[in-house]
Amino acid sequence: MTSASISKAEKSYIQAGLLTSPPRRADGRSLHDFRAIYLETGVAPLSNGSARLSIGRNPLDGSGGTEVLAAVKLEVENIEEQTLDGGRIACNVSCSPSAYPHLSSGALDDLQHDLTTVLHQTLSHPSLHPKNLGIIPRKKSWLLNLDLLVTAEAGNIYDALFLAARAALWDTKVPRTRSVEYKSPKTFLSASGDMDVDQDTRSGFDTRHVAHATDFELPDYWDEGEILEGRERWPVAVTLNLLHTAHFLDATLQEEASCASRLLVVYSHESPTAYTIQSMRMLGSDELSIPHLKKLIKEAEGYTRSMATSLTTKLEDEDFRRNQKAREKFGRRK
Amino acid sequence: MQSVFDRRRINGPEDSSAPIFADEHQKSLTPDLYKDRHNRSVSDIRPIFLQPGLISQANGSAYIETDRTKIACSVYGPRQSKNTAYNEKGRLNVEVKFTPFSSERRRAPLRDAEDRSIAVAIQQALLSSVRLEHFPKSTIDIFLVIIEADGIEGCVASGSIAASTALADAGIDMYGLVTSCTAAIIGEDIWVDPTQEECDMANGTLILSCMPALGIVTNVWQSGRMAISQVSACLDACDGRCTDIHSVVAQALLNSARSKV
Repeated sequence: MTSASISKAEKSYIQAGLLTSPPRRADGRSLHDFRAIYLETGVAPLSNGSARLSIGRNPLDGSGGTEVLAAVKLEVENIEEQTLDGGRIACNVSCSPSAYPHLSSGALDDLQHDLTTVLHQTLSHPSLHPKNLGIIPRKKSWLLNLDLLVTAEAGNIYDALFLAARAALWDTKVPRTRSVEYKSPKTFLSASGDMDVDQDTRSGFDTRHVAHATDFELPDYWDEGEILEGRERWPVAVTLNLLHTAHFLDATLQEEASCASRLLVVYSHESPTAYTIQSMRMLGSDELSIPHLKKLIKEAEGYTRSMATSLTTKLEDEDFRRNQKAREKFGRRK
Repeated sequence: MQSVFDRRRINGPEDSSAPIFADEHQKSLTPDLYKDRHNRSVSDIRPIFLQPGLISQANGSAYIETDRTKIACSVYGPRQSKNTAYNEKGRLNVEVKFTPFSSERRRAPLRDAEDRSIAVAIQQALLSSVRLEHFPKSTIDIFLVIIEADGIEGCVASGSIAASTALADAGIDMYGLVTSCTAAIIGEDIWVDPTQEECDMANGTLILSCMPALGIVTNVWQSGRMAISQVSACLDACDGRCTDIHSVVAQALLNSARSKV
């Protein structure tokens, strides 16, 4: 993966700093510290759910850092195959050329494709599938389009993408639908005008009649709806940058360039005791043995757990800020 | 809706599907994975046929066949990389192409989305094994053609074995041979070397590429829901099978070298 090109002297300086004890990094963090993460939900009012996340933004003027915008848009589609009765998820990552000024457009396309593949393969897996994406069984369902836009990159892009995706999916509201059935009108051509008893009138208690819904309508306004099911299942990723004897998290661009290989592990923490690995990738050209790999996987679980808990706390805060507090504020204005 | 018109070929209809034969339809209604996996236990891999040196105009080549996966690989290089800036280490360029008849649904002859993800995985698997510092300013091109595919995971695994054999056949300096193995979690068991149907039914799959001679892992690719203990168990199972495949690859290269003399 392309990153800032740095000289050998700078590479060795950064590596030496990371391997001393106590380890030294350019901004004074420890090996397992993250830069400050800023998160805001509801940034795209026309979408069904959105979030904007930045890691390591300069607090004084808001510049720098890795910034990702994520938005969810729901579309209705016809179910063709008998695969999933309840909808489909499609993820797409696009990288703004301003985030990668040194990449040509072909290389940028390749990078977009790689990021999209990782996100799509992880998030669209059936084990994470939310259950309330169906509209009319076997006919229509929601297609959830999750689009992420990278507007600035200063290292640690995978963690930012997964965090933003989780925030946007948490914020998503699925519009409620009501099935509609069309009945043909009573014909007036009944022979000899006799009363047609019990032919067209059906008792409400008659459960033998199977409803065949053909269409649906939306009783909600566009920013209401029910929450997307399975919020706690959405996964969190951590990138472990590997050095021979240690590993560190949240690398800046220069640190990424001086580190030969990285391990990306994505965990889903559904509850404090149930956690599963949803995805794992290795990037780079360094050596790794199987016992070392197993150890890293276990440590990654601890990191993602703390990331997931703090993200959940922040998202619940955001929910409160946008719904409860807004209502109180409007209530007070009267 | 405008579809992409390829002027060099006779374009078929935009929408087409494979015909369903009567006995095939019967089989697809009742998939019985345990019966299909006849003569093979859950921890056995399918027999591999590996032949280096099939493509004479390439510097090195290999053809691998395991049951329903057939991949031909050719290596050209090290050649001078004309267009890129000076690079003190060589570059490894992997290109994968699916033939249109490689899977149930016809694939477009133009570039496909899945080509690149397999190429990236195979490049990651081979990167640590080739001594690229011996080839500054050069590129080693590895071209893989997938003649028949039995699932993406199977293609990545067989492709990396074929590519490593082709690199050895080309005489490129390497630290070791790379072998790959796939495992899937079906129910509570670990099934090694799953077919496409088994992968689809699995909760999670894992591909491990390693150099058994040095005990180094070069690539891990995992997808699906797996617990940490299951990942550990899959890694161990794959590691054992990779060592077996390594002896197959070494034997094939030895036979090929002997026949050249």
